Amino acid sequence: MKTQAMTRAEVEAALARAGLDIPEREKPEIAAAAHFVEEMVVRLRRNREVAAEPAHIFPPPGE
Amino acid sequence: MVPDFLTIAEAGELIAKRELSPVELVQSRLARIEQLDGKLNSFIRVLSSQALDAARSAETELAAGRWRGPLHGIPIGLKDIYETKGVPTTGHSKVMIDHVPREDAASVRRLTDAGAIVIGKLATHEFAFGGPSFDLPWPPARNPWDTSRFTGGSSSGTGAAVAAGLVLAGTGSDTGGSIRGPAAFCGLAGLKPSYGRISRAGILPLAFSLDHAGPMAWTAEDCAIMLQAMAGHDPVDPASADRPVPDYRASLAGQVKGLRIGLIRHFYETDNPANEAIRQGIANAAKVFEDLGCSVRELRLSPLADWAACGLTIMLAEAYAIHEATLRERFTDYGEAFRDRMALAALISGSDYVQALRLRRELVAEFTTAMADLDLVITAAAPSEAPTFDAVSKFAIFERPSLTMPFNVTGSPAMSVCCGYTQAGLPLAFQLVGKPFDEAAVLNAAHAYERATSWRSIRPHSPLP
Repeated sequence: MKTQAMTRAEVEAALARAGLDIPEREKPEIAAAAHFVEEMVVRLRRNREVAAEPAHIFPPPGE
Repeated sequence: MVPDFLTIAEAGELIAKRELSPVELVQSRLARIEQLDGKLNSFIRVLSSQALDAARSAETELAAGRWRGPLHGIPIGLKDIYETKGVPTTGHSKVMIDHVPREDAASVRRLTDAGAIVIGKLATHEFAFGGPSFDLPWPPARNPWDTSRFTGGSSSGTGAAVAAGLVLAGTGSDTGGSIRGPAAFCGLAGLKPSYGRISRAGILPLAFSLDHAGPMAWTAEDCAIMLQAMAGHDPVDPASADRPVPDYRASLAGQVKGLRIGLIRHFYETDNPANEAIRQGIANAAKVFEDLGCSVRELRLSPLADWAACGLTIMLAEAYAIHEATLRERFTDYGEAFRDRMALAALISGSDYVQALRLRRELVAEFTTAMADLDLVITAAAPSEAPTFDAVSKFAIFERPSLTMPFNVTGSPAMSVCCGYTQAGLPLAFQLVGKPFDEAAVLNAAHAYERATSWRSIRPHSPLP
């Protein structure tokens, strides 16, 4: 198991806050998988310019 | 007697010459489905009478001299996220088991307008995401090369049905590799076109900005024929590209000599290490291209894990938004693989999503620069041949970075091409990637490779192992 910052209680609190009614049997496995998300989101953050744009734009109607 | 295996090109030519009847062809596929699909589970729904009616109509049209093109009278299958008028479209899920669309998906309409005959709706991972699962209303599809093995996903039924010769081609969708994965594991040609090339209208979404529709067939030529029908601007789909659609089949006659190919070796040697059979298959494929007059040079990009993190974060966030209300109300009506993976999306913040979109812009720019003096890219499509079902864990998509996701992030056309078989007879594949909207170059190179090798002459054994 990889190191995980979120505790099981924190994961369960986040899932409850999201309104998900997760069976007891599945909670430990989901909680133990939270490190996958933690590892992913670390990779998203870079030392970016403040104006670095995301990869979507909103085309105004008629454009 | 209709052969067990025919390509669209072969069958289309026979039909055009009136040497093969669409009715006979459809009857032969229905008999084959009856014979084999009990072991494969590739179909959720077989549309026998509807398909036979369509075949009889095709025959009448052909008798009157009205030939619509190479898809006229060709039986195909649709992944069960493609909406079909009056026919349930379930996403392979209890959640939408009673969903009966009022219209065909735009791409389905285009295929049937071109004369294709829809013979049934095909298995998928639940909503193109959760699988393989044994707790859904239908079992998961099995691999025709070895039925104890996974087909890959999520276009699992299409992979199985095409590889087993139950249909001549089928539709898939690809949000992180769901066309290219099953094509690789089932020994097919599977093309994810450029983002926007095929309308997404009427296809159950997984993640709006990563979803691609596309064909799966036995050869690059058959993919070209399918793409020709499916491609084109659709104002109903806000992401649909208003670009001219070239003659893809004609492009197969193009030169490959002089093409500049980049080989992204680090993706499958260090970032997500492939087994020796895959590495050797890709090395041999690169040599084939060199022998055909192409130049092949190594290309380095950002680590595969960056691409996967970017794509998966976007996929989870967008998919969660789609399913959020139903997950709250009916969590256990979803299969366990889908719902537990989606639960992880609840841990992703709005800021995470936007950071992923910022990274996406950077990665797209990086790939565009890297492709400036290249025509195509080669890398692995999967790190191994098809695994057994018990080797695929619930969180497998997170455990190793996906080799296919980078080209969902960039929206590039990308294709799985069979490059041999293991000693046990399981297909191997590589991935061929082109510049945006240059599907023609990808198809042309894949076609040249298929003609230079013998892999397309090998089919799964019948009866199935």
